[in-house]
Amino acid sequence: MGKQISIFVENKPGKISKITEILGKNKINLKAMTIADSGSFGIIKIMTDNNQKAYEVLKDNNFLVSLQDVVVVEIPDKVGSFHKVAKILERNDINIEDAYGFITQEGVKAVLILKVKDTKKVEEILKNRGYKVIQF
Amino acid sequence: MKQKQDFSSSPDYWEEKIELIEKGKLRDIQLEGLISSFERAKKSEFYKFKFKDFEKIKNIDDFEKLPFTTKFDLVENDPFAFLSTDIKNIVRVHSSSGTTGRSKYIFYTKRDINTWADTVARCLYMIGVRKEDVFQNMMSYGLFTGGLGLHYGAERIGCLIIPAGTGNTEKQLELMKQLKTTVIHITPSYLLYIAHFIEENGLSPKREFNLRIAVVGAEPHSETTRRKLENIFGINVYNCYGLSEMNGPGVAFECPFKDGLHLWEDQYYMEIINPKTGKVLKEGEEGELVLTTLKREGMPLIRYRTGDLTKIIKEKCKCGRTHRKIQRIKGRADDMFIVKGVNIFPSQIETVIMDFPEVDKNYQIIIDRKEGLDILTVQIEIKKDFFKGDINELKNLQEKIREELKEKILVTPIVEFVEPGTLPTTTGKAKRVIDKRRL
Repeated sequence: MGKQISIFVENKPGKISKITEILGKNKINLKAMTIADSGSFGIIKIMTDNNQKAYEVLKDNNFLVSLQDVVVVEIPDKVGSFHKVAKILERNDINIEDAYGFITQEGVKAVLILKVKDTKKVEEILKNRGYKVIQF
Repeated sequence: MKQKQDFSSSPDYWEEKIELIEKGKLRDIQLEGLISSFERAKKSEFYKFKFKDFEKIKNIDDFEKLPFTTKFDLVENDPFAFLSTDIKNIVRVHSSSGTTGRSKYIFYTKRDINTWADTVARCLYMIGVRKEDVFQNMMSYGLFTGGLGLHYGAERIGCLIIPAGTGNTEKQLELMKQLKTTVIHITPSYLLYIAHFIEENGLSPKREFNLRIAVVGAEPHSETTRRKLENIFGINVYNCYGLSEMNGPGVAFECPFKDGLHLWEDQYYMEIINPKTGKVLKEGEEGELVLTTLKREGMPLIRYRTGDLTKIIKEKCKCGRTHRKIQRIKGRADDMFIVKGVNIFPSQIETVIMDFPEVDKNYQIIIDRKEGLDILTVQIEIKKDFFKGDINELKNLQEKIREELKEKILVTPIVEFVEPGTLPTTTGKAKRVIDKRRL
């Protein structure tokens, strides 16, 4: 199963750089980042090349963090490929709570990160349709 | 409780005769005390002048005509103006932790120290402290009365005392562990901090220690905070009330029934007044506590306005002690702040937020004014185990806390969640309210 890290942050300057600094010092490569904001605070979601370690170092640095299950699926980097995945999930009556992605190889491959209720089930569905599900 | 102590071999009261004294007799002692205290006070420069129009007092009615003594009187006059005996008889001075402005000085004769120690012993004995106990005193020693006051009381009982003082949490925990501390005396905010510290280090507050009792004082705190502390440590937590002007800790103390604090009426005469009009209120009405020392030799204080808000509990206590109880202090009259014209006590806010299990033990109240409007912000730390990374969950919690606060304090606050460890924790008295309007 794929993992992402959610970090609670106050809405203040310097919060992101504190996180990236810690990751850098620990030689952790940041793959993707997205921010949900709610006025005075927000939640930063990140994916790295070593999520368990990233979770631990952030926790040690007194961050409010949580490790969550997500579906990480590889898709071709071309028009319509996200749509295909979304369509499959729609047909299976699955709600996407949150989604973001990043390109791994320009024009060739991208990675899609999906937050869903039943991560395992979605991974199965996508695997059965020939998608490569990545385990971070 | 960790280990049940066998009390069957020791009596239940430190001074049975005085603790169970018949009501009528207690009133006689009080009137005697008031008359002699008045006479003694008039030997001091301050009261000689203040009471120049009062020849004698014969009864409570006469007494209630005397003017109040205030904190202002104490800081504005020469400290020695309050001495009613020669300085050669004074053996100790303490000073209040003065949150505002100048210090108040309190003088003790040898006998005053003795009486005080005995009263504190009475308090500690009441909650089950015995000479077998190891008593770690985590209050500041020195001018503050909290440290030495409980020290002398515990010594009177015969406890093994660890005069640890405040701060240096790691050392405190080491002492607690190695010396098998059974009783601690501490501020509630520092005890919360220690709980946090222990959990942070992956230890269990319940399993690590031999603790059975914590005496908490020096800061007003809520019933919820007490219950929280009791649950975290698996011990009994008792509330202690005192103020340096009335010797220090031990003026009133909870008995094992934990429903109000017995105020030692053989030592202090209490009145509850309307803080605005100064009118003496009926038993059971809420107002400002006014105290008169009945036995103090060095520095009698007459009708001293404590600034603390409480009420007298009318009902007889199941423990049998006849000294009337006061309710847990609601706040200092000067702790109260006014936002949008509404009077608010920090304790009201504390009670609400501590009821949320998702909330950690630190909070801060910030009052500011923008474009002529008061803004009340309550900053709260979220508990680590609660955070699941879901922003909606946090938003809902924020909304729930805001609604709950609005219902209790009648002002809609801004509820802010802050990162763990960002709110200041202090080892002494915690500063919970920051009023930026005065700056």
